[in-house]
Amino acid sequence: MKKICVALLLLGLAAPALAATEAEVSAAVAAQLDRMQREIDGLRAEVQRMKEEKSASPGAALAPQQQPPPQAADARVAATSANAPASSPAYASLTASDAKTTTSEPATTLFGYGEINYNRPRNNSADAQLDVRRAVLGLAHRFTDKTRLGMELEVEHAVASSGDRGEVEIEQLYVAHQFTQDVGLQTGLFLIPAGLINRIHEPTAYYGVERNFVETAIIPSTWREVGVGIVGTPSSGFARGLEWNVGITSGFDLNKWDSTSSDGRESPLGSIHQEGQKARARNLSNYVALDYKGVPSLLVGASIFSGRVGHGQPDFAARNARVTLWDGHVRWTPGRWDLSAVYAKGTISGARDLNLSFAAGSTPVPKEFFGWYLQSAYTLWSNGESSVSPFARYERFNTASKIDDLPPGLGFDPTPTERVATVGLSYRLNPNVVFKADYQKFKLDSSRDRYNVGLGYAF
Amino acid sequence: MTNRFLIASFPLAGIAVAAASSAFAVEYLTIEAAQRLMFPSASSFTLERPKITAEQLRAIDASTHATSQARQFLVFRAEADQRGDHRAEQPILGRLYVDEVIGKSELITYAVAITPDGAVKQVEILAYRESHGYEVRDPRWRAQFAGKHAASPVMLNDDIANISGATLSSRHVTDGVRRILALDTLIRGSGT
Repeated sequence: MKKICVALLLLGLAAPALAATEAEVSAAVAAQLDRMQREIDGLRAEVQRMKEEKSASPGAALAPQQQPPPQAADARVAATSANAPASSPAYASLTASDAKTTTSEPATTLFGYGEINYNRPRNNSADAQLDVRRAVLGLAHRFTDKTRLGMELEVEHAVASSGDRGEVEIEQLYVAHQFTQDVGLQTGLFLIPAGLINRIHEPTAYYGVERNFVETAIIPSTWREVGVGIVGTPSSGFARGLEWNVGITSGFDLNKWDSTSSDGRESPLGSIHQEGQKARARNLSNYVALDYKGVPSLLVGASIFSGRVGHGQPDFAARNARVTLWDGHVRWTPGRWDLSAVYAKGTISGARDLNLSFAAGSTPVPKEFFGWYLQSAYTLWSNGESSVSPFARYERFNTASKIDDLPPGLGFDPTPTERVATVGLSYRLNPNVVFKADYQKFKLDSSRDRYNVGLGYAF
Repeated sequence: MTNRFLIASFPLAGIAVAAASSAFAVEYLTIEAAQRLMFPSASSFTLERPKITAEQLRAIDASTHATSQARQFLVFRAEADQRGDHRAEQPILGRLYVDEVIGKSELITYAVAITPDGAVKQVEILAYRESHGYEVRDPRWRAQFAGKHAASPVMLNDDIANISGATLSSRHVTDGVRRILALDTLIRGSGT
């Protein structure tokens, strides 16, 4: 502003001076100066008025008696990382443009996680394997203040094609809408609130290179269904800290049971899940989950999921079959300890006639399956963002602890309960990157004993 | 002069808009409401302009192992009512810091009230934008910060209990409070 004034002043002084007498000049100059002085005064008042307008309106919204901040940019210095020197012009322009973005924060954010694992059977090193277990790219998009989209795209085992064993999947695809501070809706393909790992399954969040057996063989994580759910997160009142989830979703499909495969013995529900892929939806399932988080460092919760799984298929021997899965879970993280336990039990009722149709020696539909584990981890060393946490886990699980009674000679025997002890450690380079190593000992089937090493990340 | 002024006013304009329109999930408090809640007896709040050099900031980031993701960082001085007296005489009740940290992938806006002797008075969540990790707004969790000062560890899983299922959010807020305590020490020391 001053520069312009000075330029005007010089022009104004120079032009008439060239073409007039000395007396005329001095009179003209005096008049000119006077006029310019008035203009400058006017401009000064204008600038002052603009200043006041600028500072008054946002300031008033914040607090009474706020001073216009002639150097509030300095306050911004404290805000950002110290990478840019405070005095540089680059920083000043960054401040201005950065502040502008505040008014419209990026509506779309990317996130991701992944893990690369090495497994080496103790007694059979020929089967040692390196696998890019999963790479997930996630996207969250905010449509409005209250409505957002969540999506996760996952590639398992690095390569997916007709000749490879990898998979590409949409793991989550849902719209979430917040009705009030405490109640929201989610609809689409979303995670079922069961156990500890299913909802928070990034490799940085759990101990052990491989996810535990209870939450893979019994609770088929990563378990998602298509449907509608309501989430309550009361922050005050008697229910403060008690998160509740209810919903109606797609469920399992018992028509997918393959008695000639061992998949059903490894994970009964994992072998009949539908994952939103042209899911049979004649029968829908329901779930209810409660998680109490009202005391810092403690989480106590339980869930139940139930639904019919025959889907009215003609000629299907288990048209009225029903799957029910429930779990109880607790996690307590006092200080450097991280203690957790999960119990999960599933039932499949109404599959007796279906089992009768299977040939001897095949994989029957279990009537009951269950598992539980206890896990303890301790952060032995930490420095800044890095830490080393050894852990130990003991688990028992049985994917076919009960099978419907069948006529003699046609029956299938329940499987014995496997017991697995896992010891190892997590080295967190920072909260986003973890290196893991552990050893797993199987009580029943020692051929499965193995060493595991893994790299995991999440952002 | 004018440029300088425009730049200076942007952060304020930004936060005013941010306060008026919350992001996803929920805005719990406006800055003004947080001021009233955290310093109920204050009659005025003055936006401060702490003179902190980039070097000092780097030192704080290094010593606290924390960096701010804030698009805006504001410091208000809470003053008691002293009608008629000279402004400079107004007793300071403490300072209120408004900062932002990343939750999982979106920002959490929070405020920390600190007493004149450098102890945390209160921590409030102003806006939370994700569907997970909202638990940081639990009053019992936030109450853990009360009384912490610059010499306290203020470390998750040390003197601040974790929140199962909200580890990232609780860690980042804890880191943010630790950093603000260090900044507050500097600001009080410089006498601004």
